[in-house]
Amino acid sequence: MAAPAISMPSSSSKTESYVDNKRKEDIRQANIVAARAVADAVRTSLGPKGMDKMISTANGEVIITNDGATILNKMEVLQPAAKMLVELSKSQDAAAGDGTTTVVVIAGALLKQCLSLLSSGIHPTVISDSLHKAANKAIDVLTAMAVPVELSDRESLIKSASTSLNSKVVSQYSTLLAPMAVDAVLSVVDPAKPDLVDLRDIKIVKKLGGTVDDTELVKGLVFDKKVSHAAGGPTRVENAKIAVIQFQISPPKTDIEQSIVVSDYTQMDRILKEERNYILSMIKKIRATGCNVLLIQKSILRDAVTDLSLHYLAKAKILVVKDVERDDIEFVTNTLNCLPIANIEHFRAEKLGHADLVEEVSLGDGKIVKITGIKDMGRTTNVLVRGSNQLVLDEAERSLHDALCVVRCLVSKRFLIAGGGAPEIELSRQLGSWAKVLHGMEGYCVKSFAEALEVIPYTLAENAGLNPIVIVTELRNRHAQGEVNAGINVRKGQITNILEENVVQPLLVSTSAITLATECVRMILKIDDIVTVR
Amino acid sequence: MAIERIFKDEASEEKGERARMASFVGAMAIADLVKTTLGPKGMDKILQSTGRGREVTVTNDGATILKSLHIDNAAAKVLVDISKVQDDEVGDGTTSVVVLAGELLREAEKLVAAKIHPMTIISGYRMAAECARHALLQKVVDNKEDAEKFRSDLMRIAMTTLSSKILCQDKDHFAKLAVDAVMRLKGSTNLESIQIIKKPGGSLKDSFLDEGFILDKKIGIGQPKRIENANILVANTAMDTDKVKIYGARVRVDSMSKVAQIEGAEKEKMREKVQKIIAHGINCFVNRQLIYNFPEELFADAGILAIEHADFDGIERLALVTGGEIASTFDNPETVKLGHCKLIEEIMIGEDKLIRFSGVEMGQACTIVLRGASHHVLDEAERSLHDALCVLSQTVNDSRVLFGGGWPEMIMAKEVDELARKTPGKKSHAIEAFSRALLAIPTIIADNAGLDSAELVAQLRAEHHKEGCNAGIDVISGSVGDMAELGISEAFKVKQAVLLSATEAAEMILRVDEIITCAPRQRENRIHAWKMICTSFHQGGNFVPILTS
Repeated sequence: MAAPAISMPSSSSKTESYVDNKRKEDIRQANIVAARAVADAVRTSLGPKGMDKMISTANGEVIITNDGATILNKMEVLQPAAKMLVELSKSQDAAAGDGTTTVVVIAGALLKQCLSLLSSGIHPTVISDSLHKAANKAIDVLTAMAVPVELSDRESLIKSASTSLNSKVVSQYSTLLAPMAVDAVLSVVDPAKPDLVDLRDIKIVKKLGGTVDDTELVKGLVFDKKVSHAAGGPTRVENAKIAVIQFQISPPKTDIEQSIVVSDYTQMDRILKEERNYILSMIKKIRATGCNVLLIQKSILRDAVTDLSLHYLAKAKILVVKDVERDDIEFVTNTLNCLPIANIEHFRAEKLGHADLVEEVSLGDGKIVKITGIKDMGRTTNVLVRGSNQLVLDEAERSLHDALCVVRCLVSKRFLIAGGGAPEIELSRQLGSWAKVLHGMEGYCVKSFAEALEVIPYTLAENAGLNPIVIVTELRNRHAQGEVNAGINVRKGQITNILEENVVQPLLVSTSAITLATECVRMILKIDDIVTVR
Repeated sequence: MAIERIFKDEASEEKGERARMASFVGAMAIADLVKTTLGPKGMDKILQSTGRGREVTVTNDGATILKSLHIDNAAAKVLVDISKVQDDEVGDGTTSVVVLAGELLREAEKLVAAKIHPMTIISGYRMAAECARHALLQKVVDNKEDAEKFRSDLMRIAMTTLSSKILCQDKDHFAKLAVDAVMRLKGSTNLESIQIIKKPGGSLKDSFLDEGFILDKKIGIGQPKRIENANILVANTAMDTDKVKIYGARVRVDSMSKVAQIEGAEKEKMREKVQKIIAHGINCFVNRQLIYNFPEELFADAGILAIEHADFDGIERLALVTGGEIASTFDNPETVKLGHCKLIEEIMIGEDKLIRFSGVEMGQACTIVLRGASHHVLDEAERSLHDALCVLSQTVNDSRVLFGGGWPEMIMAKEVDELARKTPGKKSHAIEAFSRALLAIPTIIADNAGLDSAELVAQLRAEHHKEGCNAGIDVISGSVGDMAELGISEAFKVKQAVLLSATEAAEMILRVDEIITCAPRQRENRIHAWKMICTSFHQGGNFVPILTS
């Protein structure tokens, strides 16, 4: 008979007692400890009074952020289990866009509970199955707590966007950014497919200078570029006819290598003249269609425009924006409701887009190009973000992205839930009582799950400088009395009905945080070995 | 006269007892490594790559673990190989085969220590294996005639396979997906036409089966997003310019207008090519290479949907399922076979837009879209689903089914035990050892679930002495249960392959009595030469083979 590597204690013949060999326990323990270390690192950035982290990357760049996903992304952890937590935060970012810190903190708390469950001899797969059950139950509880919301209810949407923004550096501008996020998302919702929002239809343009206050939503197109013009070229065109071109207005260049052989002086003159004629004939063709604004796709092979062609374009009163990225072409053509033109021969009037005004605007020390009043504009939106320094600007963009995601969540799943730790404490209470009716190990594990969820209100209070134990016990008390929406009001430093305080978040953020965190913890639990491979 | 040296400098040689020892130890170490992943409550492993990027894989699949190991022991390599073969042949049971081979060797080691000749052991093992196979054959159930029952058999097999994997929570859902996909194949084992697409986001439950083919690409700008009754031309051709590929070719001209003419001619050439393609009477063009702006616009003008840069795998499959051929010249439209499908449209999965070809020529083609929290989950889900699909497609052909949960091992062990009692001579020890090795599998399944294996296996044995018993280990409740009621089934083909290849591998390792390790080739030179080849690739693309000494 094969000598089993596992020795069973004789007393527990049929219980699910688990005694593994030493090494495997060590690996599981090491994994859990490493993953918890990652969770602890971002814990302090949770909530409206959470702190920010300063990250200096290997190439000397400095980032200040409150966004869990960004922090973890830049941490460059090596331990495989810790890496899984980083992945977890990324998944939450993809699924809901917000709650990237929450999900990691919950996973950390769950792992802490698992460690004590493991040390009391419960088999990891039993824990894993119970966690799955508990998570499913938690989703049911959350869904029951949620309040339905209509897209026409702009107020509620703004409230949830501002809840997300309140924990960021730019929280003082939440009154400005929240409505902007809501308007931006609502304007790109296609009535034919009301559940889908493609955030790629919202373009965020960052421009240094001014303050976050100057951030604006632009109905039209914004390019973070100067108008390319030689002396006398137009910088403002009304009743614009816009062409998006994918060819260049510069001397011809062939794909096959070529060289022009010049043998005498007169020939040189002729070449110069030919170049002039070539460009002039191109511009004439463009002018003939009535086009007066050109957007030129970037090309790595040759210059988009030369001084010579700019000069002629200026004379023809055509405004030129060059170096439009190829990836942006689809967005631009959708917005302008025009077609890209790849060859001068195909330059026809019906491919042009129309707008009331194209102008170059100076902002601080830079300049941008704005196209407004577009005829038959596609379902796209531009947001122009301003900030006094690069760090604020980047953080503002990330915060705005989170707010957009929050609104998107509401569009795809139209339910709101209270914030401020209220759902977590309620979950903890209901799961705790559910655990009492379960049998065996399961009940024990679900109870631990319930306890782990208290980490959110605990951390919220701790980060706000309140006494966490007092607050959490008070919260439990209020929830036991049936105040389902009692939560921590961080601004006042006390417990209030959080729905009345307008602190709300989309249901999707909470549910996906719970399911993803559980899934990740279960995966870590099931690992008993790390094998180094090629 | 002593011979100084037969081998080269660094070569080594191990003989007799030592050689056997080395191979036993290596093989058992490998078996022990994957042992803990066996069964529904088996554990996972992290595979950490030492290469660049330090990629992390989390897996429960024996074949995947063994494939990626660094192994120096010759016997261990044999085990890795049988696991690979098992993976290719039947797709599942990759862990079981290694564990069984390991256990057979563990038993053999004891017999060898008791001074039984390896050849005697081998012949005993052979007899035992034949007897065990016979025992299984008598107990198989075949429901091929009854479509309803056959389907439920398939569902059970899929669920049993999936229950040891990451998908076990949603095994009903995935078993249904896998069975539906395999039933569409109508008996062919060509899994190529089942495409698996992984998209992060959502949960595993959101995964779905879609008929037709999904291509993860974008439709060109300004082109129709929806086409009915599409004629598809699948091509692999350069759509920038037909470059002259000779290095250093260049044109000399003496004026700018001539350059412009050449440029015009190049454009004209492209236009001709596009016209030729359009002349095929198509309304969808899929190219493996890039389509530049200029031809893209031409296609848009003609109202043709053009998809650029479809990867190689993508176009091969597309050509297969739409019944077309991959073309690279367009001079003879009548000889090119076009692909057809009823509808092409853009769909959105998660955050990404993809293109779906539905109503394709090859009716059995379908796509499974997997959703999951992270790449780790998705990769593991794909591996698990692949296992299930393999087993199912094998079962469709060979519809003999057995119960699972350690039931087949018990049946085999019982018969082999009987045989041992009847067999005279030393061989009977080997046959007895074989039955003990078989019993190790239910023991390990129970151990992995944290159950009392000695107690359970003893109970099982007692149960199996009654006739027509369906008892096996019910891991969920931790007791002996009726496998027929619990619906735990396995494919006969998998079990048979496990039995036969494990015995063969054990036999092969037993026969070894000398290991000769050749002197390693000089590495530095090879690396150096390889680098030179690589750089010559990078520099001019002109591949000059470099001979190494």
